[in-house]
Amino acid sequence: MTALQAALASKRVLICVGSGGVGKTTVAATLALRAAVDGRPSIVCTIDPAKRLANALGLSGLGNAEAEVHASVLEPLGVKPKASLHAMMLDMKATWDDLITRVAPPEQRERIFANRFYQSLSTALAGSQEYIAMEKVWDLRRSSDYELVVLDTPPTAHALDFLDAPNRVLDFLDNEAAKWLLTPALKAGKVGLNLFNLGGSYVTRALSRFTGTEMLQELSSFMLTLSTMNEGFRERARGVRGLLEDKTTGFVLVTSPNPERLDEAIHFHKLLKQNRMEMTAIVVNRVHAVPTPAQWSDAATLTPTRRAKVEETLRELQVLAQQDLEGMAQLRAACPGTPLIQVPRFGLDVHDLTALWGTGRYLLGDDVLA
Amino acid sequence: MAGLLDKRLWIVSGKGGVGKSTVAAALALASVRAGRRTLVCEVNTQERVSRFLELPEAGPEVKRLEENLWAVDVRPQESMREYGLMVLRFETLYKTVFENRLVRYFLRFIPSLQELVLLGKILFHLQEKLPDGRWKYETLVLDAPATGHAISFLSVPQVLLQTVPPGPMTREALKMRDLLVDPAVTAAVLVALPEEMPVNEALELHGALRDRVHIRTHAAVLNQAFPARFTEADLEALVDHPELLRVAQAHHDRASQAVLAGTKLERNLHAPVYTVPRLFVPRFGRDAVETVMGHLDALVTGGTGA
Repeated sequence: MTALQAALASKRVLICVGSGGVGKTTVAATLALRAAVDGRPSIVCTIDPAKRLANALGLSGLGNAEAEVHASVLEPLGVKPKASLHAMMLDMKATWDDLITRVAPPEQRERIFANRFYQSLSTALAGSQEYIAMEKVWDLRRSSDYELVVLDTPPTAHALDFLDAPNRVLDFLDNEAAKWLLTPALKAGKVGLNLFNLGGSYVTRALSRFTGTEMLQELSSFMLTLSTMNEGFRERARGVRGLLEDKTTGFVLVTSPNPERLDEAIHFHKLLKQNRMEMTAIVVNRVHAVPTPAQWSDAATLTPTRRAKVEETLRELQVLAQQDLEGMAQLRAACPGTPLIQVPRFGLDVHDLTALWGTGRYLLGDDVLA
Repeated sequence: MAGLLDKRLWIVSGKGGVGKSTVAAALALASVRAGRRTLVCEVNTQERVSRFLELPEAGPEVKRLEENLWAVDVRPQESMREYGLMVLRFETLYKTVFENRLVRYFLRFIPSLQELVLLGKILFHLQEKLPDGRWKYETLVLDAPATGHAISFLSVPQVLLQTVPPGPMTREALKMRDLLVDPAVTAAVLVALPEEMPVNEALELHGALRDRVHIRTHAAVLNQAFPARFTEADLEALVDHPELLRVAQAHHDRASQAVLAGTKLERNLHAPVYTVPRLFVPRFGRDAVETVMGHLDALVTGGTGA
């Protein structure tokens, strides 16, 4: 049994990570599809799928809601799934708003939604997209009947942003600095503070020279508003943190075999290991196959012009395949003990169900790249 | 068509994995060839430009790599320090405030502060002058983050001006915005591959830069395009060689895709598209960057598109 087969049969959450443009979305969708076909009700949460993939999955025009991929969609593949397949397109802003609606006391919601710091927290704070995507998965895992949730992660600028996201959010709500700044105000029981309530030290004054006084006050007020719902938030952020380390959660690192992508993949792998998170497999996507001797000898039988064109193409493929082989060797050496799974480069973009099925055959070891 | 040499700030962006750094390296080299003092800025990343050019890494301080070429990897902590020192003036005061653990915690949550100081450092270098009054760097090539991050990065001044009460941060933001939106200074070059997602992201980036940042797209680069090779007759003649037909068909499809992608970009961006063919080299180094540079000559010096 291959590593991904075992994971599809036993894991509750699979998180597909990797840098942008390596085919994470395709791998995530494929994994959920195969699990459903094999009989485990599954959902794939994607961030920004290609339009054709979204259409193929029946996601077009949908917002932040779970949508069933109808079995009829899979008929052309000759596949009858034994369990349901769902998909959803995560809208970051809407997911944050849902979270606030759940956690905040009703009378405070509107004030939070209108706060400019909330708006930037939900859209711009580093790690907030990563956090909210995982919070959604945690929520689905707790409150739904899916046996497997597959997350296609947002394109992270940095691997660390992703792993650090729950910590950052916890820090935001629960950091010493906030307590230190807010304690006098909390004691006084008021929200409209002036700067000298904020621990009127010269550190605070110097800080306000840097940010402006009003800015510091507004941020403090916002933190004060949030502090009333700290417990709810904290519990969830801890849940998310716990989910990352859970034994039933696995990471699938997706990469392509070119050198810059590999550097990032190796870095991410190291971070996951350091954080004791389970690396289920590394998927190397779009690997070029080495031209076979039969292809070369077949090419030799063509008319001279065509032979030249075909041989030129085979030579180019040879260069690409050689690069990929070297990349694979480098990856294998850097990530000992982690299964590597190769998926070939298909002719065109992989964005329809037939192509997903083809990808799945390689992911699960039905087909193997020579 | 005016070339990039008419501008001083060249911003290179596009989807992740499309070859932004390659294009940035090629453009920087072209600027150097045109005799301009050139600074390449990468933003808090693993440095690629210096590696492609087979030169030592620059690190977080501006470093001269070779004649007329400087580079820097702009990182948050160092930039915050420089910015903090500019605002707070005195090293001791800076240390008391910014090396205070609690304050550092707090600063992380001031929205966009990190982006502001990174962008602030880059635009500071753009305005640096030599003692004789000439620009210290005549060209600044910004190897910007990928699409989504690039939009939030470059729109930080605008966002701050709209959301933050007037103060030191907004004064800085106003200066930055004025530089970014000045078409005599700034030009955006969007990089795409001939595939669905990278092309769509380039269009999305174009719209967001125009509407949210007010930066006009100067040109697009269609990278790694397969040039046409097989005719329909070639493909028909290969029906008895299924393995070879598959190879030829794949090449043919990718070449057609490049043509379609070029057309789609040109129609929607209303800007010229420069095509760089896919290179088949065992190792992507300085020679490859120079080849890419050759294909971008018209983009840099002006004249008609390739």
